[in-house]
Amino acid sequence: MGGRGGGGGRKARNFATFRLFPRAGAADPNDRVFVRVDNNDYTVPGFADEDSFDSSLSDPSAGDGNFHSASGPLPEHVRREILELGLPDDGYNYLSHLRELRPAAAAASSFVPSSTARPEPLPLDVKAYDASRVRVGPSDGELDEGKTMCKVAAKTAPVRRIEKAVDPDVARLLDESDVSHVGSEDEGLEEDFVIIANRAEGEELEEEDIEEMEEWNGVLSDVEEEFDFEEDEPKPRVRRLLDEQFDLLALEEYGDSDDDDRVVKDGEYELPSEAIDELKLFQSQNVCVDEEYRTPADFVRQKQDSSTADDVDESARVIKKCAEYAERYLNESAEEEVVVLVSESSEESEIWDCETIVSTFSNLDNHPGKIETPGIPRKRLPRVFPGETTTTNDIIKLHGKEKLPVEYLPQRRRNGEKKKVKPVEASVTDKFKKGAENETKEEKKARKAAVKEEKKEARKAKKELKGLYKSETQKAQKVAAVTGPSSIRLI
Amino acid sequence: MAAAAVYGGFKGRKLGVEDAPELQLNRIRITLSSKNVKNLEKVCADLVKGAKDKQLRVKGPVRIPTKVLHITTRKSPCGEGTNTWDRFEFRIHKRVIDLISSPDVVKQITSITIEPGVEVEVTIADV
Repeated sequence: MGGRGGGGGRKARNFATFRLFPRAGAADPNDRVFVRVDNNDYTVPGFADEDSFDSSLSDPSAGDGNFHSASGPLPEHVRREILELGLPDDGYNYLSHLRELRPAAAAASSFVPSSTARPEPLPLDVKAYDASRVRVGPSDGELDEGKTMCKVAAKTAPVRRIEKAVDPDVARLLDESDVSHVGSEDEGLEEDFVIIANRAEGEELEEEDIEEMEEWNGVLSDVEEEFDFEEDEPKPRVRRLLDEQFDLLALEEYGDSDDDDRVVKDGEYELPSEAIDELKLFQSQNVCVDEEYRTPADFVRQKQDSSTADDVDESARVIKKCAEYAERYLNESAEEEVVVLVSESSEESEIWDCETIVSTFSNLDNHPGKIETPGIPRKRLPRVFPGETTTTNDIIKLHGKEKLPVEYLPQRRRNGEKKKVKPVEASVTDKFKKGAENETKEEKKARKAAVKEEKKEARKAKKELKGLYKSETQKAQKVAAVTGPSSIRLI
Repeated sequence: MAAAAVYGGFKGRKLGVEDAPELQLNRIRITLSSKNVKNLEKVCADLVKGAKDKQLRVKGPVRIPTKVLHITTRKSPCGEGTNTWDRFEFRIHKRVIDLISSPDVVKQITSITIEPGVEVEVTIADV
């Protein structure tokens, strides 16, 4: 409709559009104002003219309360308000950023103390005490710090934990642990107990150390060895269980393993019984000390006195016998050898669970091959080059796009098709062909139909299989996409 | 009050109830739009009821066809996997109410509690 003159083509826009917006900075979401959203000249008296602070959109000619925020100095009352609030007086109307608390809003946001709230818990390094019972006053008139402190301490009670524990049992346990900690500090080990103990050995012992050490009876058995105990040391002091234990240990480690009957009694060894018997015998025999010298042979024969002649004879005989024994011994060693077989295998098998070695070869070094069926021997090169037999010409024929001497190339076998590998077989294939030609039409049809059926079945089966293993194929495709050549498409 | 009426140029005059017949009437079109149909219908009903209480001529609410904004995105954050798509939609409902009254009355009517999410636009034109 451009016929109505160029400029005034449009219809007269005699309307004003207002939109409801929530008031800026208002607490109540229901507090809305109408804000003009168009630029027409139409004025609507009595609409959206309020002394609101978002004055830029409303009618500039309306009311006193509107000013552009950038227009001149702020009016006095506005400035006063700003100053009262403590905001700087720099010409900017900070009141526009204030949030208004409406009565309704204030009512909605009144403070209601919650019944389930807990007072703020104390920080961990602060402990509270209830001093309500402490009497403070100048009654005594004493400024003795110690006494006042005592009084205060006596009257104050530790406040039960300010935070209510979730579980009364837990609270009880927590309170109990405070008490128990106080007493146990004395019983604990000092940090330098080892040094103290070591020093105690070399010096005169103090009673405290003994008490301390007595307490660790079974605990420090491995520490005993480190102590340098001398055997003279225990004598001046009371012998303890620890000393006995040490002696036992020392015996085990360092004593002879032959004598099992050894018993430790008060630090004195008792010799094994055989030795004791021998010694006793010797002593008994030696009690009666004659002036004459007696040889052991005399004692063996239990002769009280011995004549020299007998002695000589006896000794001669003894010497002879010794010589005989020696000879026999020497001969025995040469001839008889009693071999004693000690079968230890049974013992060993008791200790070991199982040990079987099949081979000492490991697959890390050896790679055993997989046993496969022998494949079809593939002939890469024909034994008889066709080119040799066909012609004896010197011409080599090139076939195909690449111009290759086809007759001289190695020939491959394709699936289902067999090429003529040798010209010798040519005649055979010719015969085959002729046999095919002899078929009647029906037979040919039948044959072809059969082939068709086969292919149809094959196609069906393939499709089925494909659907069955679709997910597998997808996975394989993923792998092939990464590893294989990009042209592979399995799906 | 009569003086106030004489000084018609005063923009800030507040007209009392007695001056009702002198008020100029305007054609007022209230457009309500929202994503939420329930709230929208509620507000519409309230407005119409309010206007009828004040014996105004009301037309509406006229239901403008709903605008549906479609957003169709791939579900997958990466490109892998079957190509599944999410279809999100965003419906905007719009209602229009026409009144013939003075702007003050309209202001009163629209001062009722409006549900959140409902947008109100008022267009005032001459009768």
